[in-house]
Amino acid sequence: MQLFKRIVIITAIFSAVYADEKRDIILPDLSVKLLDGKQVRLSGLLEEGPLLVDFWATWCAPCKKEMIFLEEFHQKYYEEGFRVLAISTDSPKSMSKVKSYIRAKKHTFMVGLDPNQEIAKKMNALVMPTVIILNKDRKVSWYHQGFIPGDEKEIEAQIRTVLELGQEKVGE
Amino acid sequence: MRKYAFLLWAIAIVSAQVSFTGNTETRIGESSNGFYYNETLINTNLQYGAFTNWIQLEFSDPPELGRRVNGVRKLRLEYENGPVTLKLGDLYEIWGRGLVLNSVDDQPIDRDTGIRGLSLSYMSDSFTGQWITGRADISQSTIYALDYNTRTHNYHLPYNLYGLTINKLIGNHDLGVSFLQSREQHPVNTFPVDTLDIKNQLSSISYSVTQPAFDFYAEYIINRSFTFAENEWDPHQNGRGLYSNLNFYFKLFSLNLEYINYHFGDFDPFDRWNVVDNYGYYQPYQNPPIAMYIHENVLMNRISHQTDFNNEVGLKAEVMGSLTDNIEFLAMYAQSNRTHSWVMNEDYTWRQQEQLSYFPSFEPAAMPYKDFYAELTFNQLRNNLYLKLGYADSEDIVDLLQNTVTDTSQILTYSIASAKTFPLNLSFVVGDGWSIDAKMELQWLKKGYWSYNQQNNQVVADSLMSIFLDDEGNRVEDEKNSFISLSIGKSPKWSVTFTTDKTSIKETFGDKESIVNPLEKLLGVDQEKNWINVEFVYHLTTSMRISLMYGSLKGGLLCTNGVCRIIEPFDDGFKVGLTTVF
Repeated sequence: MQLFKRIVIITAIFSAVYADEKRDIILPDLSVKLLDGKQVRLSGLLEEGPLLVDFWATWCAPCKKEMIFLEEFHQKYYEEGFRVLAISTDSPKSMSKVKSYIRAKKHTFMVGLDPNQEIAKKMNALVMPTVIILNKDRKVSWYHQGFIPGDEKEIEAQIRTVLELGQEKVGE
Repeated sequence: MRKYAFLLWAIAIVSAQVSFTGNTETRIGESSNGFYYNETLINTNLQYGAFTNWIQLEFSDPPELGRRVNGVRKLRLEYENGPVTLKLGDLYEIWGRGLVLNSVDDQPIDRDTGIRGLSLSYMSDSFTGQWITGRADISQSTIYALDYNTRTHNYHLPYNLYGLTINKLIGNHDLGVSFLQSREQHPVNTFPVDTLDIKNQLSSISYSVTQPAFDFYAEYIINRSFTFAENEWDPHQNGRGLYSNLNFYFKLFSLNLEYINYHFGDFDPFDRWNVVDNYGYYQPYQNPPIAMYIHENVLMNRISHQTDFNNEVGLKAEVMGSLTDNIEFLAMYAQSNRTHSWVMNEDYTWRQQEQLSYFPSFEPAAMPYKDFYAELTFNQLRNNLYLKLGYADSEDIVDLLQNTVTDTSQILTYSIASAKTFPLNLSFVVGDGWSIDAKMELQWLKKGYWSYNQQNNQVVADSLMSIFLDDEGNRVEDEKNSFISLSIGKSPKWSVTFTTDKTSIKETFGDKESIVNPLEKLLGVDQEKNWINVEFVYHLTTSMRISLMYGSLKGGLLCTNGVCRIIEPFDDGFKVGLTTVF
C-alpha cells in the first residue's frame, strides 16, 4: 500500500512537471483510413499547412457541439492551408452511421475512422473530444481535452497562432 | 518478456532519435459505503525509425473494476516497412465489422478480449491481409460460476487462436474472407469440476459497395465447434450470423438501415446467459454489431437492452437530416427478438415452438425489444445557443417465465421493462468564456410481470403486476425518474457541474442501505430517493486535467454496446481524477 501511494505521488509530480514542459512533441507519421476508404498519412495531410485532429464519436454529445465550430474554422481558414481531420472512434456497433451523420450535418472536413482506437492511443486522446493541432512538421502545437461551450474561442485563437495570423479576427 | 520490453524502453528513451509521448490517468475514489479504488494507468508510446513501442503500466490497489495489477499491463512492439506491419505483444484488432474478431479493452465495464501474440499484415491501395496468432485470456462475471461479485470477474476462459483475413478492392466493390480457429480449455459446472477441450472454427465472407447515393455492407459468418474426446474431435455445434447495413443519402438527408440475424445457439429462456455450461457457441472475442441505438442520455442507458449475441434477429432504421440551416432532426426505430418463440412443457422444461420470420416480430414468447427515439436540435444565435429536445419510447421483454399452451388455453408470464423518456439539453455561451449547460431527463418507467391467461378462447387475465411499491407498500404502476445536471463553465479553464438523480420509488441494492449525503441533507431531499453530487473540472495546463467529485452516484446497469454490467452505488464519497499528456 505504501509503495502504491508513493508510485501515485511520484506519477502525479512527474506528470505535473513533465506535462507542462515546453518541448517538441512530434507525432509518428500515422496512417489513417478516411471515410471514403482511402488511406492517408499525417505527413500527406500536412503538405498544405497545419492540421487540426479531432477525436469524436457519434454517441458523444460534446463532440457534436464542438464539430459545428470545427466546420466553421475549416471553411474560414481553408485558403490559408489549414485542414481539419475528425477521427471517429465509433466501434463497429455504431460506425455505420458515421457517414450518415457527417452528410446530414453538412460537415465538409475530412473524416477518419479509428474503430479500435489505436490511433487515439498513439496520439494520447484520453477523453472525447480531444483536439490536437499539428504544425507542418508534425509537431504538436496545442492539445485540449473535453469541450466546454466557449472553448471554440480558444481553439480559433490556437489555429490563428499556428497559422501566424495574429489574433485580431478571433470571435468575429 | 517484460524485462526485455523494459530494457528496450529504457534504451529507447535515452536515445536522441526517439519520439516519446505518453499519458497518465489517475483515479481515486472512496465512499461511505466502503467502495474504494485507487488506480493509475501510464501509457508510453515510443517511436524510433520503423519501430513503435506501446507500454501500459497499471498500479492499482484495487482498481474500480477488476483485479489489482502492479506493473506492466499491456505492451506491444510494432515494425512498419512500407505496406508491411509486424506487431508483437497485446493486439486489439477488428476484422470486417467484428463478426469473426473484434478484440476490445473496454475499461468502463472491465471487458478485455485482447490477444497476446503476433500479427503480420499487408496493406496496399487495393489489397489488405492480416495473419494473427496468439492467446486470449478472457475473464467475465457470471452468476453461473462460483464466487460471483460485481467488481471482479469469476470466470476465466483461455484461448489459443490463429487466423487470416484478406480484403480485395475492385473499383467500388470490396470483397473479404476471414478464417479464425480457436482452442479453449472450458471449465464447466460438473462435480468434480471438469474442463473441456473445445475447438471453434469461424469463417466469414463480406461484401461492400460504396456509391455517391448509397453504400451497402454485408457479412455472413459460420461458426463450427468441436469437442475433443477419446483422441478425436467430435462435431458439437454449427452456428451462423448475418449483419448487413444499407445507407441512402439524399441531399441533406440520410437513411441508415441495419439488420442482424445471429443464430449461434438456441438456449431456453432460463439458460440463455449461462456461459459456463453452454460452450462452442458465440465467442467473446467476436463482438459483432448490434441493431439498436446507443443513447446519449443517462436514464435510457440504465434500461438498455442486453443483446443476446447467440440468438437475436434485429432491425434498426434511422433517418437524420437538416430541416433548415439551424435545425436538424433524427428519428430512429429499432426492434429485435429471439429467432424462435418458446413453450413450456408440463415438466417445466422448454421447447422451441416455431421459427419466426427473418424479420423481428412482436411475439412475446420470443422476448422482443423495441425502441423509438426522435430528437430535434437547434443551433441559434451564431451557434451560441444549442438546444436538443428528444423523446424515447422503449419496451423490452427481459425474461420469459412461463408459456404453457394447450388446445384450449394459454398461460403466459414474462418480465417487462418499458419507459417513456424526455431528454433535453440546453447550452448557452454567455460571453467572455462563460457558459451554461443544462441537461434534464424525465422518465416514466414500468417494470414488472405481465400475465396473460386465456381459457376456452376467453381472456381471463391480461395485465401487468408492477414491481414498484410506494412508501406505504402499495403497488404503483410507474417509477418517475429525473436526472438534472447544471454546469457553469469558464472556458478554457474550468467547469463545475451540479447533478441530481431522483427516483420516486425507494430502491435498494442488495442489502446495502443508502447513506446520508450532507449535500442531500442540506437540500432537504429524501436521501433514499436522491443521489446528488457536484463535480469540478479544472484544466491545470492544456495537457493536464483534474476532476473532483463529491456526493453520491446511483448504481445499476452500465451498458456499452449491448454488453452490460451491474455497477454498485457510490454513496457519499469523493472521486478524484487526473489525466496528463506528455
